[in-house]
Amino acid sequence: MSAAPPDPDRAAPVPSPCINICRMSEATGWCDGCLRTIDEIANWSLYDEATKRAIWHELEARHAHLMSQRSARNKASP
Amino acid sequence: MNALPASIRVFERGWLSSNNVLLTDARHTTLVDTGYATHAPQTVALVRHALGPRALDRIVNTHLHSDHCGGNALLQQTWRCATLIPSTETETVRDWDETRLTFRATGQFCERFSATGALAPGMRIELGALDWQVLGAPGHDPHSLMLYCADERVLISADALWENGFGVIFPELDGDSGFAEQQAVLELIASLDIATVIPGHGAPFANVQQALERAFSRLAWLRADPRRNARNALKVLLVFRLLDVRATDFDALTDMLEHASAMRAAAAMLAPRDAWPALLRRSVEELAGSDGPLHVDGERVSAREP
Repeated sequence: MSAAPPDPDRAAPVPSPCINICRMSEATGWCDGCLRTIDEIANWSLYDEATKRAIWHELEARHAHLMSQRSARNKASP
Repeated sequence: MNALPASIRVFERGWLSSNNVLLTDARHTTLVDTGYATHAPQTVALVRHALGPRALDRIVNTHLHSDHCGGNALLQQTWRCATLIPSTETETVRDWDETRLTFRATGQFCERFSATGALAPGMRIELGALDWQVLGAPGHDPHSLMLYCADERVLISADALWENGFGVIFPELDGDSGFAEQQAVLELIASLDIATVIPGHGAPFANVQQALERAFSRLAWLRADPRRNARNALKVLLVFRLLDVRATDFDALTDMLEHASAMRAAAAMLAPRDAWPALLRRSVEELAGSDGPLHVDGERVSAREP
């Protein structure tokens, strides 16, 4: 039971991105917690290490996208 | 990792939901363990994604903890699937006897479901066109089962063996035997020819020998002082609650401690009753270290955000 933030670039095997908020968002098609698609969650244990690392990087980009959307929305509101 | 046969799909979930194992063949589609109740819509989505137009027609539960059977109700509502549970739990589930089900004792939640059949140690079952032996795995839970496929050398170990340890030995909290049973379960696993373990939590793993060595040594460590098992139980149940509700406060956790008999039993092994608030605070603070799963801010306790 360790919740140390994983470093997917160094850790082997590459850890699961799951953070236990396992709920799909209709708006994004991503899990509200880990930001993976249902396809990526379902197939996670089939992926090789390189694919898992690539998805971790993609998740960073999705997170940044969500953050920029949120700040744009905040600016737009009166 | 050895590749698993194509008829076995593992949905690796997290800490709050157990893994789900989907086994398909021409006759049946079966899901072994269904995750936690609040994650049930995602469990349904994963099964639907994997099965396409096919229906899920069977659920098998290794044991009836809320993180392993919490998706049963929604899966049953979605597909009217048959549900096989450990045979010794049949009456408990039929009557939905909350005093014997573990949900109230652990301060957890599970929507009511029904069972249509039962599994017991010594039985065999075909899943994913493979022959599986049903093995008893008391220790973590007196009713728990494992599934072993000798032809493919695969063990579905539930919470009896993880890559790093095993589940809390709950019976010992109530003064019942559990360490001896867990020792026997580990010895049983050591006697099997296994290429891949699909654990209840964490990724499937191949190095069974190393996992067993760690488990044997952890068990010896817990047995040497049963308060270690109690301390671990308290922490595990606290983290589970926080991952579930995300944020709460010390008063609510004290209230939880008073009402959840497994937590109460663990606390009773560790401190006199008037010292429980301090015990709770100490346990939470130990979980809120720099790389711990919890965060404390005054009276407020939350799950650490990544």
